[in-house]
Amino acid sequence: MKSRLRIVLAFAVCVSACASQRPEPGLPPPSPLPPSGPAHAESPAIASLMDSARADTAAGKLANAGASLERALRIEPRNPRLWQELSRVRLLQRDYVQAESCAQRSSSWAGSDALLVADNWRLIAQAREARGDADGARAALDAASQQR
Amino acid sequence: MFRRRIFGQIEPGRSKFWRYFRYAFLALALLAASFTLYLDFRVRSEFEGRRFALPARIYARPLELHAGLRIAQGDVIDELRENGYREGIREGDTGWFVRDGSWLEIAVRPFRFWDGAQNALRVRIDFDPIGVQKVQDAQGLDLPLARLEPLPIGGIYPGNNQDRVLVRLSEIPKPLVQALVATEDRAFYTHHGYDLRGIARAAWSFVRGHGLQGGSTLTQQLVKNFFLTPERTLQRKGTEFIMAVLLELHYGKEEILETYLNEIYLGQDRDRAIHGVGLASLYYFGKTVDQLTLTEGALLVALVKGPGVYDPYRHPDRALERRNLVLREMRNTNAITPEAFMLARSTGLGVNDKAAQGTSPHPAFVDLVTRHLRRDYDEADLRSEGLRIFTTLDPRVQGRAERVLERRIAQFDREKRFGEPGLEGAVVVTDSQTGEVEALVGGRDPHYRGFNRALDAARPVGSLLKPAVYLTALADPAHYTLVTPLDDSPFVWKSRGAPDWEPMNYDRQYHGAVPLRVALAQSYNVATARLGTDLGVSRVLGTVQRLGIEREMQPYASTLLGAVDLSPLEVAQMYQTIASGGFRAPLRAIREVTTQDGKPLKRYPLAVEQAFPPEPVYLVTAAMQGVVREGTGQSLKNWLPAETAVAGKTGTTDEQRDAWFAGFTGDKLAIVWIGYDDNRAARLTGAGAALPVWGELMGSLAVEPLVLPKPQGIETVLVDPGSGLRADSGCAGALELPFAKGSAPSAVAPCASSVGIAVEDVKQKAKNWWQRLWGR
Repeated sequence: MKSRLRIVLAFAVCVSACASQRPEPGLPPPSPLPPSGPAHAESPAIASLMDSARADTAAGKLANAGASLERALRIEPRNPRLWQELSRVRLLQRDYVQAESCAQRSSSWAGSDALLVADNWRLIAQAREARGDADGARAALDAASQQR
Repeated sequence: MFRRRIFGQIEPGRSKFWRYFRYAFLALALLAASFTLYLDFRVRSEFEGRRFALPARIYARPLELHAGLRIAQGDVIDELRENGYREGIREGDTGWFVRDGSWLEIAVRPFRFWDGAQNALRVRIDFDPIGVQKVQDAQGLDLPLARLEPLPIGGIYPGNNQDRVLVRLSEIPKPLVQALVATEDRAFYTHHGYDLRGIARAAWSFVRGHGLQGGSTLTQQLVKNFFLTPERTLQRKGTEFIMAVLLELHYGKEEILETYLNEIYLGQDRDRAIHGVGLASLYYFGKTVDQLTLTEGALLVALVKGPGVYDPYRHPDRALERRNLVLREMRNTNAITPEAFMLARSTGLGVNDKAAQGTSPHPAFVDLVTRHLRRDYDEADLRSEGLRIFTTLDPRVQGRAERVLERRIAQFDREKRFGEPGLEGAVVVTDSQTGEVEALVGGRDPHYRGFNRALDAARPVGSLLKPAVYLTALADPAHYTLVTPLDDSPFVWKSRGAPDWEPMNYDRQYHGAVPLRVALAQSYNVATARLGTDLGVSRVLGTVQRLGIEREMQPYASTLLGAVDLSPLEVAQMYQTIASGGFRAPLRAIREVTTQDGKPLKRYPLAVEQAFPPEPVYLVTAAMQGVVREGTGQSLKNWLPAETAVAGKTGTTDEQRDAWFAGFTGDKLAIVWIGYDDNRAARLTGAGAALPVWGELMGSLAVEPLVLPKPQGIETVLVDPGSGLRADSGCAGALELPFAKGSAPSAVAPCASSVGIAVEDVKQKAKNWWQRLWGR
């Protein structure tokens, strides 16, 4: 079962890696995966800022979305879901270095939340892939699949 | 006939005279015409183009109130007061607050933030002993978040330090305009720039020997302030007259009035000149101009005649008398009814009791902001375009830092009596997770606009560099753990072309074999020097660089013990990377910049970069917590409870010239330096002088404890501190210490039974499993 998953993942990465070998300037950035895992009860302040960040993201106002998440992070700098959301926004902003760093920062606060860590690895894979780092992306996907 | 006699029948000599006279007249007329043309050009180009140089306006961070925020009610009130909010009366739509026991009702002013306009807001905040308990709107509905308008903390001013807030004529209350016209220029709406009766009055006063004065229309006053120097000569009066007429020719009354009301000089706040009714309303009354009452508007008009003479703070009686004169003129011109006049006359001045702040109350922080801005903006634009700069300054932290440093340094000066000039100091406080600079103090006098020690005093950092040495070691868990014994016995470092280096411990003793964590906690120089040279100086310097120090450092062995000059801000950057778990976040003082009307120009987003894997940073942080728990930073317990688990490091340089303390809690990082500008021996240690400042400051800020997220590659193991070997509960004084997985000692201490170790192992595994199940 697990090995089959690996093959599928490897195939997916291969395809995407081939596709990303010649990045075209007009290409839209990869759309990050939607958040998965159980819903967490955030404080009302954080929830409202996350809501407005999502609304801004949907409306394409990425700078505003980032600003809202930074506001939230000033209130709860140790909230891994905020760092993960910020990673998603950075990915859409094609700031792939920050997308990866924010995902790593999220994992550093994730404790034992394996689902969250796995999501972060997938975000890192997307960021690396978009940068043309196919090997790095594959390694990140491997890491994601190892989270249980 | 008459004409003929003049022009026809005259002698040749006289006709020559008249010819010259005509030439001269023509030349003069031409000159006058071109002068007028020149004036016309000036009037149009200067009036038309950018009319006012608007300073860049700098704001502190906005206070965001939400349930669970750790802030005292008094601190919120302080910030409201400082922002010109009035206490106790529900007067006007915004700009006031009412306190009743544990709650606070605030009428928040509208404000244009970077991410858009925020309307006026009525909120009720309930406090409990910890902080904000809940936030509600006027209808009693819970609000997730209430953002207050940020405190203005100064500006980047034009050369003449003129400050103003532009307002439209439509925003200015009618009574204010009526008061102005009634008092200064009753014929304003009908004249063409000059008022003959006024001129006649002025001429009469001149003839009687009272000098040139009065009689100016609003237009003439505007011309005088706008284009001309303040000297009073006949020639200047003439120029003023022509320009006033020209101005009236080109522009309407409304436009002239609006410009006048924005230009007029209405007060002096230390080195800052208050111009225009827009800023004057904020300055004197803490409200926007559209909120001004009749009497408040009348006071501003009263100030037109002389903001110094009628200064409502220094000469309240004169100000009141002049204001009532303005009100009387309004009654005389039927702008107000006699009843309204009677009522208004008995009203007090009602000005803010706001302390003067000058161009900025926090010049050192504004200096940092300006330097950052200069990378992206022209100096001229900063001084004239009215940019709005949103910064990270936390006024509460800044105020405390200023006061604590000032008081402590004064105390050290008294105790030590080392003469003039006295001790100096600097403080930097940042958000330990995001790298935002919350406070910056550049010297003992926080209002001094000169040498900014927080940025420019590069001083030897001494032992503050040691964490970099230990971080380098702990990144190599195969060779170094927290219990690895280090050799603290006599040590001489020989290198070609340099004199021998023989570091000494502070206590002039050698301590033999000491566990690594103890060597850091006790700040042993010899053990550290040996460790650093074993690791390699360049490797340690590589670590320092990755921590965020860009300055070039010499690869001498003495650098290991801090023979390297850094500014407090640079040290803050270095410790920031450790505080945020190995993620380097460049220190930031600016969040956003917008144009004067709120259009976003630039954001300085939060950026992080993983500079170190989490495991060694976790380990060195644990060792730095040891510094405070049982090492050179122990006295911090006088200000903060043990649970805060501060990670810190003291630093003292040769002959005690510099006293440092650097440390962080869960949410704040601070660096304190104290010493003499001229490098005299201060006879102060890091623990004796810098630490108390740090402790008193952090102790007053309700800081969060430092709880580190345990990285996946870390396990905790019970260790016998004596032998550095594995312990169990049978060992007295056994310590639970973190290790990189697989690096913990395997040998069992004599005090422990192997059964006990196995039990400990199972217990630890169960604990880990339990933690995994329930999150952090």
